[in-house]
Amino acid sequence: MDLQPIHSPPTTFIKKYVFSTDHKVIARQFLWAGLLFLAIGGGLGMLIRWAWGFPGEAVPIIGDLILPHSNGVIGPSTYNGIFTSHGLIMIFFAITPMMIGSFGNLCIPLAIGARDMAFPTLNMLSFWTFVIALCCVLASFFVPMGTAAAGWTTYPPLSTQIGTPGLGQTFMVLAIFFTGSATIMGGVNYVTTVMRLRAPGMTYMRMPLTIWGQWLTAILNVLFVPVLAAAAIMLIMDRHFGTEFFIAGANGPGDPILFQHLFWIFGHPEVYILILPAWGFAGDLLSYFSRKPAYWYKGQVWAMCAVTILSAIVYGHHMFLSGMNPLLGQSFMLLTLIISVPAELLFLNWLHTMWKGSIRMTTPMIFTLGMVFVFGLGGLTGIFLGTISTDIYLHDTMFVVGHFHYTMAAAAFLVTMGAIYFWFPKFFGCQMNEAIGKAHAWLSIIFITLLFGGQMVVGFSGQQRRLWNPFEYTFTEHLTELNLLTSYAAFALAISQLLFVYNFIEGVFTKRTCGNNPWEVGTLEWELSSPPPVHNFTTIPTVLRGPHEYANPDVRRALGRDWISQTEELPSQPAGTGGADSGAGPVGGDSADGAADADTAASEEPAAEVAGG
Amino acid sequence: MASVMVSPEGGGRLVRIDPGVREANTAWVGMVIFLGSWTVMFAAMFFSYGLLRVESATWPPDGYARLPMMLPAANTVVLLLSSVALQRGLRAVRANQPLFPWLMTALSLGVMFLLLQGVVWNSLWTEGFVTASGRYGSVFYLLTSFHALHVLVGLGFLLWLVPRSLQSSYTPRDHSPVRLTAMFWHFVDIVWIVMFVTVYVL
Repeated sequence: MDLQPIHSPPTTFIKKYVFSTDHKVIARQFLWAGLLFLAIGGGLGMLIRWAWGFPGEAVPIIGDLILPHSNGVIGPSTYNGIFTSHGLIMIFFAITPMMIGSFGNLCIPLAIGARDMAFPTLNMLSFWTFVIALCCVLASFFVPMGTAAAGWTTYPPLSTQIGTPGLGQTFMVLAIFFTGSATIMGGVNYVTTVMRLRAPGMTYMRMPLTIWGQWLTAILNVLFVPVLAAAAIMLIMDRHFGTEFFIAGANGPGDPILFQHLFWIFGHPEVYILILPAWGFAGDLLSYFSRKPAYWYKGQVWAMCAVTILSAIVYGHHMFLSGMNPLLGQSFMLLTLIISVPAELLFLNWLHTMWKGSIRMTTPMIFTLGMVFVFGLGGLTGIFLGTISTDIYLHDTMFVVGHFHYTMAAAAFLVTMGAIYFWFPKFFGCQMNEAIGKAHAWLSIIFITLLFGGQMVVGFSGQQRRLWNPFEYTFTEHLTELNLLTSYAAFALAISQLLFVYNFIEGVFTKRTCGNNPWEVGTLEWELSSPPPVHNFTTIPTVLRGPHEYANPDVRRALGRDWISQTEELPSQPAGTGGADSGAGPVGGDSADGAADADTAASEEPAAEVAGG
Repeated sequence: MASVMVSPEGGGRLVRIDPGVREANTAWVGMVIFLGSWTVMFAAMFFSYGLLRVESATWPPDGYARLPMMLPAANTVVLLLSSVALQRGLRAVRANQPLFPWLMTALSLGVMFLLLQGVVWNSLWTEGFVTASGRYGSVFYLLTSFHALHVLVGLGFLLWLVPRSLQSSYTPRDHSPVRLTAMFWHFVDIVWIVMFVTVYVL
């Protein structure tokens, strides 16, 4: 049975905590790094909000410390650096490591029944390449003329030496290159691990949706991050080696639009790279805490696959106003709007999963509900941006900012927080405080909705994004108060994160423990101790059913509870349906497939099982 | 050591799998995915080349001479032969014959490729065709230098095979490093052929 080696536990501190090849340790490393940079990126976001809420006023408390040369006032060029590095840090150095680096590493081997990743050393290299990138980011703040200031999209000619002289921009582009390399290494590892190391009986259609999300994300990463890496190389060559890819004009025969193509060929899949894991989390967590099978599991899987494919062919909608051929623009518009079909399918499935479930309002569930809410808002407003006629008006306004923050920032942030609360036992061996967690969840949801909603409203009124002082135009003067209110929502959001900081630190250092399975969930990671041992599984488990086997009357009759693990044999199962054969039987995933009503789906299962047996 | 397990793909059928073979196959899958990823990286660069070229009224752009053909063509043959030598080496390992002579052939041909490439660069650079020579110079030096970097990495892999090939410790059942290196080396070769055709010939 044992085709995967059992590694002996590392003995030295360095091997155990620094250059570790254990996927669980690497997951924790990514989590810490991601949280640290989330705090940095969030702080930069607060500075942007300060600049818009109180234009020209000195930043209180920390102002003199971070901006000594201007007595704490955010000047125009400082402001450019702040919003640029806010975007880049949040996307590449906060959300990506937390959601993909951390949870991909933790969940994939545990939930598919593997002892480690397919390539543990590559995994370690991936993290330490990422650390090099983090060093480049930090270094960019301390060089003359400051950090990158060309916007997170890094469009030339702004991002060439003409627009942003100084080493800051170069360091940031280098950081993107390194983190891209780290992502590719991780992606190769994730894709291979899921393909090769699934436990016996763990078919693709029995994987938790979390793993589906991570796997599809890894595929997108492997295919499209190289395009960004190529663009980064070309940009660095333009900046320092005299080439002229992106420099147009009398002296330069290159083409800045080329960069936009490369950037968005990567950039649009990147949007889904950040949301597919969130969808996976949501599909699983809603099922776990509604105590019902995920509604139409296969439909959710196919919807996610469809989005993965579509995401590769819609990038042109970011360039409607870059002088694109109108016919091409219309094709991109059509493809873009088609994405709303699988996205809607997922959304309806989430709602249907909760319908008439025995919902447990735990912290992860509240966060997931918040994610469903803000993702709905972000998704609906995306339609207006994908349509050329409305995009011409809304392009480059705060409406765009509000839209992508609802989807990429709010939805990803909320569900990742939920996932941290949910998998905390597997990270650190205990549960976080639920009361504080619930307060954190509700405050986060309320303030994040107000924050990005406020941005959308001012954007719809015509406020352009990226303006240092938006109120110097007469048509946006009256938006001062709305911006101030939005800024207050942002500050409240930041302050409510202190609850999380306390809760997280307390949980990490407490002596409290929890059992293997505090949430009563059936996937493989919850059969292991919290935290799991170095080699995860002493014997590789044999999987018998899908991940969401809840509310099955047979299970309740036999075991007296509403859930059953993916590997547990049902004692009263009729002979002949047990063992590896049960792939044909009704598992959580298949149950709602043919059922018109989830209400009756649960009661139909045993009948089908008897028939199958 | 053969082991019996229930294959996840086989719907519960019992299959015989050797752990070593399984691990080698996993490494092969990983290499295929990695090379797929790297193909996209080169594809992005070729896309840039194509876009810049299509936008130009003439190619080469006005004021630039065509790139020389003879030496790069000879170099193509050199790299191709190197690839062939390594493939023969892989076949030799699988037939339980020594890898070392084939490996050294592949290595020296690879080094020769880089030297000739250096000669090409040097002559162009002294003629005044530099990275700052407009879009023509930009794409030429991007593609060729990025490819040369991969040849260098490939040579590193070949060197890494030398110690074990001297001990003849690669066997028909255990030669995953040779197989993976050959895959990478062929990949670098194929990229060069595409590059030669697009950059020099067309």
